[in-house]
Amino acid sequence: MQDLQLSAPAPVSEDAPDAVRATHPSGSSPAPSAPLPPGPPPQPANPTSNDHRPNYQLEYILSGHAMSISSLKFSPNGSMLASAAADKLVKIWDASTGDIMRTFEGHTEGVSDIAWSSDGDCLASASDDKTVRIWSLDAGGTVRVLKGHTNFVFCVNYNPRGNLLVSGGFDETVRVWDVARGKALKVLPAHSDPVTAVSFNHDGTLIVSCAMDGLIRIWDADSGQCLKTLVDDDNPMCSSVIFSPNSKFVLCSTQDSTIRLWNYQTSRCVKTYTGHTNRTYCLPASFSKTGGQYVVSGSEDAKVYIWDLQSRQVLQVLEGHRDVVMAVAIHPTRNCIASASMEKDLTIRIWCDEAADASR
Amino acid sequence: MNASLLNPFNITYPTAVQTSLPSQASLARFDPSGRFVAAGRSDGSAAIWDLETHAAVRWLEGHVKGITSVDWSQNSRFVLTSSKDWNVIVWDLAADFDPPQRSSTIRFDAPVSSASFHPRNSQIILVLLSTGDAYLVDLRKHHRGRVELEEVQEESDEEGQMASPRSAMTTARFDPTGKHIFVGTSVGSILVFNTRTKTMVGRHKVSGAGLMKGFDFAKSGRRLVTNSSDRVLRQFNLPTYPPPNADREYIELELEPTHRFSDPINRNAWHAMSFSPDGEWLAGGAADPATHKIYIWDISNDGQFASALDGGREPLIHVHWHPRKPAIASTTNQGNILIWHCPAPERWGAFAGGFEEVDENVEYEEREDEFDIEDESELAIRKMKQEEEEVDIDTTEDLDASALGDHLRVNGDNEEDYAWADEEPDDDIRGWKMKTVMEDEPDML
Repeated sequence: MQDLQLSAPAPVSEDAPDAVRATHPSGSSPAPSAPLPPGPPPQPANPTSNDHRPNYQLEYILSGHAMSISSLKFSPNGSMLASAAADKLVKIWDASTGDIMRTFEGHTEGVSDIAWSSDGDCLASASDDKTVRIWSLDAGGTVRVLKGHTNFVFCVNYNPRGNLLVSGGFDETVRVWDVARGKALKVLPAHSDPVTAVSFNHDGTLIVSCAMDGLIRIWDADSGQCLKTLVDDDNPMCSSVIFSPNSKFVLCSTQDSTIRLWNYQTSRCVKTYTGHTNRTYCLPASFSKTGGQYVVSGSEDAKVYIWDLQSRQVLQVLEGHRDVVMAVAIHPTRNCIASASMEKDLTIRIWCDEAADASR
Repeated sequence: MNASLLNPFNITYPTAVQTSLPSQASLARFDPSGRFVAAGRSDGSAAIWDLETHAAVRWLEGHVKGITSVDWSQNSRFVLTSSKDWNVIVWDLAADFDPPQRSSTIRFDAPVSSASFHPRNSQIILVLLSTGDAYLVDLRKHHRGRVELEEVQEESDEEGQMASPRSAMTTARFDPTGKHIFVGTSVGSILVFNTRTKTMVGRHKVSGAGLMKGFDFAKSGRRLVTNSSDRVLRQFNLPTYPPPNADREYIELELEPTHRFSDPINRNAWHAMSFSPDGEWLAGGAADPATHKIYIWDISNDGQFASALDGGREPLIHVHWHPRKPAIASTTNQGNILIWHCPAPERWGAFAGGFEEVDENVEYEEREDEFDIEDESELAIRKMKQEEEEVDIDTTEDLDASALGDHLRVNGDNEEDYAWADEEPDDDIRGWKMKTVMEDEPDML
């Protein structure tokens, strides 16, 4: 995490290496009627789009990382949660109990991003040591080191088949890797500023990337050709981008405290989500479909925001973290959200909406 | 998924070699998804190549003599190899390791010249031996058996006279529905068998064809192209075959080709031919001893010759069209597999946001209100209104589901044949994934 590296190492507050079962702290979980932050979307709620409001409650607080946590990802089957941090470590947690299962050591600099392979057997991590490492859960360690980036690697993702990896970084390139042989297949001179996010679509034929140059680019995965460039009028720095589940839209968060849903075929922004604060860090935005259809993002005001996908209204704000919420992960099947925060806090919190789980 | 963003004006046959896979292959076939190529080698091994990484991902070592054919099950989980060593092996690629598991071995008493899976069930296998006999092998528990396909002989008038010796079977294929088996013979006839009953339901004489060397079907199953020893490829429209009846009646019909394709200059014979997925193009691999040439004909345009692809100096021995894309795999006699594609020109306009490339200069007409200064708050309200529209982030148009199998059911087919083939389905479920096996990397750690 480039931004993190610049600041002094955080003081490690009370060493609490293992998960702590939260005793449902009354103060930390916001009432559903938490006052909405100042911000535009005061539209009339669309009654059909959401028949229940999310009611996420804090379930666990996990601590173990010694420096800012940069990325969280649930494993494809939802049994594990992986976290990466500026302390050079990748940790695996049991998603249902909150116990720490494993700590992977090997990177020589902070880790900015992690990604699970689709079978959940492997994990890839992107680091400021200019490498991508592939970790095997079976082998319990590094199985590959992908070298080639000439500067910090900032983002990494697998394709759905798990035979390719895509990574981007401060050398402004996007690289496509052959996982089996550990070789770079393509080096795309993708952007003119650090690449902040890159990922495949659901069938692996497209790659989307975004960068601090404010551009979102869509690439043909096979040929490596650029197919489309999306740019907002104001050209704000892009923090993260992902395809929608059906790959017809891309969700991009930018450092003007806005998240936009783009129809990339027509190059039009079809939804705008605001209310949170994002001016400095690369905060990823995610889709959640386990309860209603939500968009979820961390925020620099130490909260997690949940919007209704269609009405763009803030439905719930999760409060409790004490620093910027840098990483957010959505459980693939249960109605859970994991969030993690920077150095003044250093905890991972797991929030669940059990009512929604039960009603399904 | 990327198709909608790619240039829609692509011509629909490949024009250039994208990559060459050095695999010492004698033949190469795409899998039904088009992500892999199975390459059979003359030393008896076979390899599965991943076209995304252009690397061999599985080695199938089980035969001791040359591979004569390879085939894929419908969802690419099982691969079949037939060999001159008298065996047919079925491989299961879902195994977590390399080499993959052998799921069955079928032994014969003669070299196997080709074998293929039933399109609906990989446990039903059609096998042709070099002795000129064809067998249908059923590996299912309740149908287990091996049945020889027998041509019905014309009844001779004189009693006691020996029936004329049976003509040898020289090529055998399932049609795309799997309902019928088409067998070509050494005397230029096409025999049609019902797969379920193994009885002959049709016989076509093709005059002047000579020995039948190979068949290929358009995906619809209504058109057949034959390769024969007279160096002509013929395309036929197939009649509808009646369901087999108790009297074992069959259609005896001389077929007239709708098109004939040949090389008028060099009189080259053909090693293989392959339809494009939409059936509108036909690729013929010329048996030219000095060059690597693929002829492309435009079927939708009355079979006109469209192009001859030149693949260099290594002569061609096999050709197969990609199941979905304008791409071809052609094998050279040096064992290299050339993957042909249709290169899309780089569109530099794609690198700029909101930029459109035009081929010619156009006079730009500005809209009436294009440079009007609008009230910002009004603009914001209008944008808000536009954003009210619901978006669908979940549904995909799954092309695969409709493209496979079911559209073939038209034409008044009786369901019985499908029901029979679907009994005891194989484990070839859609959506299985081949595990990525990490190659050992000794210089690491």
